[in-house]
Amino acid sequence: MSDSAAKSKPQARLNLLLSLTLLGLLLLMWAALSVSTDTFMTENNLTNLMRQASIWAVIAIGQTFVIITAGIDLSVGTVLGFAGVIISLLLQAHVPVSVAIVLTLLVGVAIGMFHAFGVIRLGLPPFIMTLATLTALRGIGLLMTNGSSISIDNDSFTGFSRGALIGIPNLFWMVIVVAVPSFVFLHLSRWGRYLFAIGSNREAARLSGVSVNAMLYVAYTLSSTFAAFAGILTTSRIGIGNATTGQGWELQSIASSVIGGTSLFGAVGSIHGPLLGSILLTTINNGANLLNVNPFWQLIITGGLIIVIVYFDQLRRRGR
Amino acid sequence: MATGMMDRPAAQGGPAESSVLLDLRGLDKRFTGTHALKTVTLAFERGEIHAIVGENGAGKSTLIKLLTGVHLKSAGEMRWEGRVIELTGPQDALALGINAVHQEVVLCPHLTVAANLFLGDERTRFGLLKGRDMLREARRALADLGFSVPAEVVLSSLTIGQQQLVATARAAIRGVRFLIFDEPTAYLTRQEAAQLFALIRRLKAEGVTIVYISHRLEEVFELADRASILRDGSLISTHRIGEIDEQGLIRGMSNRSIEQIYHKETVPHGARLLDVHGLSGPGFAEVSMTVDRGQIVGLYGLIGAGRSEFVQTLFGRHRATAGSVAWQGKPVDIRHEKQAIGLGMALVPESRRDQGLCLNLGVGLNINLTVYERLTRGVTISRSAEAAAAEKQIADLRIVTASRATPAASLSGGNQQKIVVGKWLNHGAELFIFDEPTVGVDVGTKQEIYRLFGQLLRNGAGIILISSYLPEVYELSDTLHVFRRGRLAASHAFKSASMEAILTQAIGV
Repeated sequence: MSDSAAKSKPQARLNLLLSLTLLGLLLLMWAALSVSTDTFMTENNLTNLMRQASIWAVIAIGQTFVIITAGIDLSVGTVLGFAGVIISLLLQAHVPVSVAIVLTLLVGVAIGMFHAFGVIRLGLPPFIMTLATLTALRGIGLLMTNGSSISIDNDSFTGFSRGALIGIPNLFWMVIVVAVPSFVFLHLSRWGRYLFAIGSNREAARLSGVSVNAMLYVAYTLSSTFAAFAGILTTSRIGIGNATTGQGWELQSIASSVIGGTSLFGAVGSIHGPLLGSILLTTINNGANLLNVNPFWQLIITGGLIIVIVYFDQLRRRGR
Repeated sequence: MATGMMDRPAAQGGPAESSVLLDLRGLDKRFTGTHALKTVTLAFERGEIHAIVGENGAGKSTLIKLLTGVHLKSAGEMRWEGRVIELTGPQDALALGINAVHQEVVLCPHLTVAANLFLGDERTRFGLLKGRDMLREARRALADLGFSVPAEVVLSSLTIGQQQLVATARAAIRGVRFLIFDEPTAYLTRQEAAQLFALIRRLKAEGVTIVYISHRLEEVFELADRASILRDGSLISTHRIGEIDEQGLIRGMSNRSIEQIYHKETVPHGARLLDVHGLSGPGFAEVSMTVDRGQIVGLYGLIGAGRSEFVQTLFGRHRATAGSVAWQGKPVDIRHEKQAIGLGMALVPESRRDQGLCLNLGVGLNINLTVYERLTRGVTISRSAEAAAAEKQIADLRIVTASRATPAASLSGGNQQKIVVGKWLNHGAELFIFDEPTVGVDVGTKQEIYRLFGQLLRNGAGIILISSYLPEVYELSDTLHVFRRGRLAASHAFKSASMEAILTQAIGV
């Protein structure tokens, strides 16, 4: 057990129990769905599920960095849609794909830096700062596109999301590209330790010589950049750029992270947690669709799940 | 007076069999690990001003909290007008007419003075607030009390002193019969204090019992009828003013059996670590002192005397306005905390929970938080170096923990203190500034912390010890500096003055 996980034995056991429960729940749902529907265990459906889960996993991982510092990033859904607008405009202007991707990611970096600036220098609560960009960026995106969708005729760009490598969808490979360095960053490097320390006690971290502000810049920048990356992937998948894409996905990302064991009070979280959480949420969506459940029920189920998980988080805190 | 101040039906017309309003018999309070109040038996008479004096930690605030229903007593009995009462919460105390005015004002800063005066007891018609009526009533009440405080302004626009007067007026308006003042003049100007004293005398004349707690003994002699001395949770004695003098009170407060908990280790002093000359800054002026390796330098003074401000400036949190600091012989200008840390200074803050530790993270992470840069190989942290660094401090300081992954929160107070120290030892600190290191810890933990001091001294560190608890700094300091109102009032070599003399210097009798 690493020091960053920082749990005593009973707590480590509780967390392991939580992870195993989630995994068990996931397997149970998969088993139930493959028995009750003919369509679940088809290659088509599974790759589709993995593609959607990939996109949510990427923003959930980014979100997790911010939540560990006891902050929150409500803008990720909007940033995702905005990045889609940017890259489709760039591709429409025949900018080379690689350049377009880099420029779009840089837009994500800029947005994240702006968030950190607002939180640190202007002293705005993270909730307010990112709520403001949630609505403002949506407006900018709609202005730039006049509210319409921008279609992309670059086949190599749109083909990427449909492709697969050794049987695994390209989009899922992208999750690995994001998750592995994220794991190294959060769990193996000192910067990860600093994020946990800031989330636990900002003043103690500062007095211990941690550059709190720099680390907050890193956390918010990672979140927005990951959201921009997810926006590129989504645009590749649906073939159009639209400012309203990703509406409400900030809640999906927060829910995935929290379901995966991240504490909204900060200082508790992992990379595998939001990964598992996002697959779980996607499965609920997918299964509900296949079972012809009214899609509105999905929202209710997600909400119920969040209450249960956060209640467990509270129990864990009180247990101290 | 047309306010609720007169609503005391029992005060005048009640049975006249006894002059005692509140009678405490064997009142006792234990917290986990500490015996805060030890079988206190004390009777408060109607219409008397009763001062309670004692050092910090003597049990004064515990007594107030029991009387106001904030804490529940562990044992003993309280009688109100001869009847046994059980206080189950603050509302019970308020219902009897027991109220307290605290040093820190507990009112709503964003509401107006009038709104605060009537908070929880608003005048309404059909459920709607009668704002103008309340404002008129508030103005009249304030004028009656002789306070020159406007009723319509927002509370936070007033000075702390004026807010204190509003808090007092609030208690007076509500038909108070037993009013406790906890260090009320700490933030008051002379005029505000005079207004307050006039009110206190007026309340007394109306039969209200006043409990007055203050470090300023001259106020006790000016106001009180009787004074009780608390020491280490026990009631030492009660005196009529006029039958005791200030020295007598001071002797009662400080003359104590020195428990065998102060293991002063005498270590030969080494090279000079710190040389402060004529340092001035926010809240203190012209402070000079030196710290050598192997030496404990104690800073004593009342709360607000400038000790904390001095060390915080030393540590780079505030800018000094004059004076010079030399570190190991070289002049330094410390502008921020990181610089102080880099030199080898460590501040162990008073509230280790707020400032010292990441409580829900592991012992190991806390110990290594200052040195992760050193533990990093390339991009990732070396697991073995991380473990070794943490285990070294855990072993050296004998930190009792299940593992280095155990959250700091689950350790005892003394062990938490050791984690903070271990964090800085790990970083190579040579001068440790302890700000009230034994506040809220039990005797066993105190001993542990004092032994830790000895260990640090033997390893060649120097210590600045800030404490409001006189026996502690008195028994442990090689050099003791007494702060009063932002200046050094006196400096003493180890036990070269009596505790009474030092307390006198700190209070400024």
